[in-house]
Amino acid sequence: MAGHVPAAASGIHFDGVGVRYPNGTVGLTDITLDIAPGEMVVVVGLSGAGKSTLIRTINGLVPITSGRLLVGDRSVGRLSGRRLGDLRSEIGMVFQSFNLARRTTVINNVLMGRLHHTPTWRTLIGAWSAADREIALQALERVEIVEKAYTKASELSGGQQQRVAIARALAQQPSVILADEPVASLDPPTSHVVMRDLQRINADLGITVVVNLHFLDLARRYGRRLVGMRAGRVVYDGEGADADERVFADIYGRSITAEDVLDTRVHP
Amino acid sequence: MTGAVAVSAASRRPPRPHTAWKGWLVVAVVLGITVWTGIAIGVNIPDLLGNWRNGLANMGALTQPDYWFFPQTLPALVETVQMAVMATAIASVVGLPISFAASRVTNPSRPAMLAVRSVMNVVRAVPDLLYAAILVSVVGTGVLSGTIALVLFNTAIIVKLVSEALDAVDTGGQEAALAAGATWPKADRAAVLPEILPSFASQVLYTFELNIRASTVIGLVGAGGLGMLIDKVRTFYHYHALSLIILEILVVVLVLEVASSSLRKRLTR
Amino acid sequence: MSGPQPSAAATSGGHATPGASMPGRPTRAGTPATAPAASPPRAPNGRPVTDRPAPSSRIPVPPSAPASSSGPAGSSGPGRPNRPLHLARTLIWCAITAVVVLAFATAPLDWASLLRFPGNMIRYLGLMFGPPSLATLGPALSATLLSVQMAWFGTVLGVAVSLPLGFLATRGVTPAPVRAVIRAVLGLLRAVPEVVIAILILSVTGLTAFTGALAIAVGSIGTLGKWSYESMEAVDRGPIEAARAAGANRWQIVRWGVWTSAQPEVLAFWLYRFEISVRASAILGLIGAGGIGKVLADNVNFRIWDAVGMLLIVVVVVTVIIDLISGTLRRRLITGRWSAPRLRRTPVPAVGTA
Repeated sequence: MAGHVPAAASGIHFDGVGVRYPNGTVGLTDITLDIAPGEMVVVVGLSGAGKSTLIRTINGLVPITSGRLLVGDRSVGRLSGRRLGDLRSEIGMVFQSFNLARRTTVINNVLMGRLHHTPTWRTLIGAWSAADREIALQALERVEIVEKAYTKASELSGGQQQRVAIARALAQQPSVILADEPVASLDPPTSHVVMRDLQRINADLGITVVVNLHFLDLARRYGRRLVGMRAGRVVYDGEGADADERVFADIYGRSITAEDVLDTRVHP
Repeated sequence: MTGAVAVSAASRRPPRPHTAWKGWLVVAVVLGITVWTGIAIGVNIPDLLGNWRNGLANMGALTQPDYWFFPQTLPALVETVQMAVMATAIASVVGLPISFAASRVTNPSRPAMLAVRSVMNVVRAVPDLLYAAILVSVVGTGVLSGTIALVLFNTAIIVKLVSEALDAVDTGGQEAALAAGATWPKADRAAVLPEILPSFASQVLYTFELNIRASTVIGLVGAGGLGMLIDKVRTFYHYHALSLIILEILVVVLVLEVASSSLRKRLTR
Repeated sequence: MSGPQPSAAATSGGHATPGASMPGRPTRAGTPATAPAASPPRAPNGRPVTDRPAPSSRIPVPPSAPASSSGPAGSSGPGRPNRPLHLARTLIWCAITAVVVLAFATAPLDWASLLRFPGNMIRYLGLMFGPPSLATLGPALSATLLSVQMAWFGTVLGVAVSLPLGFLATRGVTPAPVRAVIRAVLGLLRAVPEVVIAILILSVTGLTAFTGALAIAVGSIGTLGKWSYESMEAVDRGPIEAARAAGANRWQIVRWGVWTSAQPEVLAFWLYRFEISVRASAILGLIGAGGIGKVLADNVNFRIWDAVGMLLIVVVVVTVIIDLISGTLRRRLITGRWSAPRLRRTPVPAVGTA
């Protein structure tokens, strides 16, 4: 298959990373974390704990203000312009609100994953290369939604849109996939489908996957490694299987409520 | 018990705001300015009433269009439509990229965006007929000056309308494209353009409507179209012919407005 | 929880019953036991269960039924839809292109003139602005003042007439035939360009600024009337119902129910129309109605270019200032704030979200 193929999956290395916003608030404090290539990590914590900030430092959407952050062998803090674009093209991101271009077709959305590798003049006239189209179609096949390739994105359900978003990330042929609360807008059965997709991608393709979740049962079920955050710091780093209610209560700083668990919402 | 409650409740009442005077002040100022402007422009009611009979006779002539004049108006009518079509086409092609540069959503550089916006505001501040008058002097009478005048006028309008629509567009796809490593122009083209196309098409249709109206009159300063015919005819006070021309303008404008408004509704559904 | 149902490939797991897996998805030997509830092994499209391939970042095509493999780029595999044809859309594009090309081809354009245009334009711009005539500044300002006064008076007059007319044209106020007539008259006034109206009026009042103001007034009645009745029809029904329930008579309902809701929008339209009228007054001056347009026309005709340059600058500056003031007032009316909120570009999460 033609097309750019990046190096094998990248590891992520946080070394004393901190994020301080211009108005003085602190997003992250002294994060030291090592994620091996091909690992799947689930990050949990309350709203405001820093999960989103952590994920967005990895592809440079949030700039770090102290420490060192390595993705593969590149230091994110030092990158800008074209090289930051290079890094971002190897990191796929899945958002809570899907972030699709709603008025255009599914395949055009997935092709956005190939933007970095396409010359600007081709983008301007909408002439994607045949190789890129093939990559996009195969990504859609992998998430099993290829029959919707020419449907308008806004006509899909939430779960389908998220799968298209995952296909877009796959089309980048990334070495890392970041998912920021990918299932927060989805109902329980769809959430499981999406989480299993991410898990399979990690298992089959060996891509490093970092997922933010705030549903504890999902975290435990799909996260072999669990990282807990509170107030901008890492407070737990261990096996998902080992994390019981006490561990979660520790991470959250309070006892668990029904809001923190996905499947109890189905049976109130 | 009730008395004690009533007293304490009453003492918590906020003081009554006395802001009604602000409204009356505005009305007084507006009235004052209006009177002042009325004097300045020479409002002349006696003359108005005196010439009324004259006016009525002319109005009467206006309701009897001279239909035999129609064939003579055809070339001018065709010119009018041609100018409107050409100007709309050029302005939409040129205006779309400029609109992207003029919106804070699609242009990451704030100074550049402000510069483009300011230039467009200046271009928009000059009325179309003014451009036509100057261009006629520079280029000569005829369709060319009219088309160029309309292009200037339209591009500024399209840029304002489309960049305002861009300011309000859903940026989710753009955020994802940027996170995937695309540059701003690529992200805008791939993720923002599809979102804005229906609005853009609607504004192009609106501009075409404006153009038809404008191109009927720019001929008054020599820039081609029905306006040149109007100019010829009014100097000879041929009111029946004038009335036919006005009727044609009305028909064209109304037909276009109906077609365009139904098309625009379908586009922005 | 009912058993899993085979749903068509089109519906997503979002609507499937809890526990059903996606149709067509092959189950795998060795999948961690994390699948929720019983999902029957499926292979309705004949896909065999596969072993785990070597980890790599490439996306291998899932081994599919014999029809095709990962052949040459562009070949469609099973299940891939064909690219849609969009016949109607293509036809419309062809029609539009044909009309545009026709217009360009048949218009009496002087191509020689067009080629000379850029050079010519630069020369004239130099004549106009290098430097513009300072002596004209005084007369320019007073002429512009006259134009603005024309615009103000005309707009106020137009507002005064259009408000009752617009109100009468609102649904629910007058019977349908009366409403239709009024709306037709408004439409007619809207369709006729202001300049033509001015020409018509000048036989009655002569070529003066007053004519210009009257033309602006008549011209604005059409648009203002339409905007007025559209606004009034679009008001929230709530306050009207409440007023009626409290026993108000018709005029009270209008004053307190309709007008209070429609007021900000209608006032904003008045301001916007004033902006347009200022431009119209310059245009009317060109045909002789006085004001800056007349001075401009005279100077252009006598080709006194440095005066033209100064006049243009004055027109632009005054128009832009009026636009800015009007825009700020309109924004305050509609949104309640004096300046537009700054757009936050980088997707930095606000403090308080994870």
